[in-house]
Amino acid sequence: MTRLRRPAAVALLLLVALPLLAVAAQSLRALLDVAAWVSLGNDPQWLPALGLSLWTGLASTALAWWITAWLLAQGFVRQRLGVLLNGLPVMLATPHAAFAIGLVFLISPSGWILRALSPWLTGFDWPPPWPTAQDPWGLGLIAALMLKEIPFLLWTAATQLQRDDMRQRWRAEHTLAQTLGYTPQRAWWRVVWPQLSPRLFWPLLAVLAYGLTVVDMALVIGPASPPTLAVLAWQWLQDADLAVNARGAAAGGVLALAVLGAALGWRALQAVAARRARRASGARGRPVSPVSSGGFSRLPALWLLGGVYTAVLLALAVGSVAGVWRFPALWPEALTVQAWLSVWASLDTVGTTLGLALASGALALVWCVAWLELSPRAWDQALRPLLYLPLVLPAVLWVVGLYSVALQWRLEGQWLGLLLAHTVMVLPYVLLTLSPAYLGFDSRAAQLSDSLGHSRAAFLWWVKWPLLRRSLAASAAVGFAVSVTQYLPTLYVGAGRFATVTTEAVTLAAGAQRSLTSAYAGLQFLLPVLAFGLAAWIGRPRRFRVASA
Amino acid sequence: MTLCVHLQQLGSAQRVLLRDLRFDVAPSDTLTLMGASGSGKSSVLAAIAGTLSSVAEGAQALRFDGTITLNGTDLTPLPTARRGIGLLFQDPLLFAHMTVAENLLFAVPPGPRAQRLAQVEQALTDAELTGYGERDPATLSGGQRARVALMRALLARPRALLLDEPFSKLDATLRGQFRAFVFDHIRTQNIPAVLVTHDAADIADATQVLELPPQA
Repeated sequence: MTRLRRPAAVALLLLVALPLLAVAAQSLRALLDVAAWVSLGNDPQWLPALGLSLWTGLASTALAWWITAWLLAQGFVRQRLGVLLNGLPVMLATPHAAFAIGLVFLISPSGWILRALSPWLTGFDWPPPWPTAQDPWGLGLIAALMLKEIPFLLWTAATQLQRDDMRQRWRAEHTLAQTLGYTPQRAWWRVVWPQLSPRLFWPLLAVLAYGLTVVDMALVIGPASPPTLAVLAWQWLQDADLAVNARGAAAGGVLALAVLGAALGWRALQAVAARRARRASGARGRPVSPVSSGGFSRLPALWLLGGVYTAVLLALAVGSVAGVWRFPALWPEALTVQAWLSVWASLDTVGTTLGLALASGALALVWCVAWLELSPRAWDQALRPLLYLPLVLPAVLWVVGLYSVALQWRLEGQWLGLLLAHTVMVLPYVLLTLSPAYLGFDSRAAQLSDSLGHSRAAFLWWVKWPLLRRSLAASAAVGFAVSVTQYLPTLYVGAGRFATVTTEAVTLAAGAQRSLTSAYAGLQFLLPVLAFGLAAWIGRPRRFRVASA
Repeated sequence: MTLCVHLQQLGSAQRVLLRDLRFDVAPSDTLTLMGASGSGKSSVLAAIAGTLSSVAEGAQALRFDGTITLNGTDLTPLPTARRGIGLLFQDPLLFAHMTVAENLLFAVPPGPRAQRLAQVEQALTDAELTGYGERDPATLSGGQRARVALMRALLARPRALLLDEPFSKLDATLRGQFRAFVFDHIRTQNIPAVLVTHDAADIADATQVLELPPQA
């Protein structure tokens, strides 16, 4: 077993590294076209579009980061991290596009918020001509991105905070800082957060890259003229003219540079913040009020976040069965299942979505478990940047490479090609979510099992995987959800021949069929939620028949 | 600066860990609390330091009835941060993201920077660790780490010190040295201290030993 370990790790690596490198090489090759860069430079739209991309991506990431840090502080100090995590799976499972569609139904001029205030407060009998749905400043996009990324950051942070090896130590250090006179809040910011935040670099980078390069969400809720650079690039990529396609790839290259610059900038900022935190003045923080029953108060910000998600999902649910719905009315005049009947009629869309998500999620999970189990730790550390490449390369650039590879391997427009495209996108997320728990597993357990004379396989099957089943199930659900939400790869590599609930929802969002859009967006939400629900059920703690005395 | 602990009862809603524990500790004295595992001796320290609620998330919260006073001031309504009670754990718990000097500086109360740094240097000298300030705590030996942990606790100028089996993870020779190092410092600081241990060799002062009864 140990003798075969390295060759097996090499085989695993090749299996993933070859397609990844091929795609990356093809993506970068597209950037060598000088004419494309000239054509990009001559385009009047690209600079303002880049400005919008930077503004929406950076603002949404910074907001999501700070709100996450603040929520974690509240949860940690009040020992309510468990509560913080309870509602997360549903929020996490909500696809970006579905969330954006639902949010538009809330904040648009004919949306629920304005309906609730009209006409008694606003005096409107008609939806006002306000640009609240696709506002030119990108505020809607920033809000949508921020609200969508907070649960992701919270969740990745929580997986670190709940690692067996870290949880007790950080809790003890936090207590110790208090015995030195620091308030619980200050102790969090000085002791726990500086140790936690560097571990969130990759998730943060994923959020940053996503925010700077997102297409589906920006199509739904982002500014339209000019759009963000990612949307502009996507429009160019879909053009019939090859020269315009090349310009789109070049725009993707610009976005890749933007992500790189933002990542470096983030590192620098974090280094400065870390130095400041270490060289602290020794100030202990404002004296806190006397301990009142252990501080079991609620977390209002979390309720607010949960409230927004509930409202968004409710908007989708009601929207999908709404018939005629005149403006100030809070409730549709007639309810109809017409939209759901059309969804039912195109059941193969759901089938394609499910098949791709199950297959790519399973492949990614199996690969990640094998990799984490077999690869030497040093290899894993060194290769993470490569494995995370799909997270940080702009999707608009990535699909260009994916498409060329699919063409070469004669997979374009094929289900197998789609599966490859999805698996490549799903894998880094599964790896990201699985590794903290998997690598944090107490290595002494393996030695103990060895000393009892059990084989490695028996140890994995009877001890390690059962103990890790919560993380394994959750990672599989994440993989499933990521696959469901894929928009660009599905359209581009599938050559338009395959429809999933996501491509349908985003395409429909541009039109006026509120109920059908809602139905597909709702379905896009429902599938991952079911996956997360199943994962939670599989990962539920074992109930022992005899409780403690 | 006398520490007076009068616990009528300590335990969770379900079970009582101990009843009627009373002791007073005078400055520069060290009282030793002994007892088997699970007798609640660490929980007594947690009650004094005010950290009972942060024992473990999800676990049964512990509560106590009684009074804990330091020099006549009732500590029970105060949060941990304002009690002025230092705590030394089994693990040195040096912060991994800070150097040795930064760990110490973290404990020094606010003031002019030069003075604070001078206190850190003095503490390093006391611990026979001159020149170790810029080191990563992970590169220190077990005994060195234990000394840094004590200096850090003392730099915050606690008015009493609690020791939760601080010697149990050291080997026999280091143990004797570190024990003497700790008790010397408690005497020079002139503060009361409470030591929890299950090893009779750790006892600081044979006239001040409390044996907790085993769990009923």
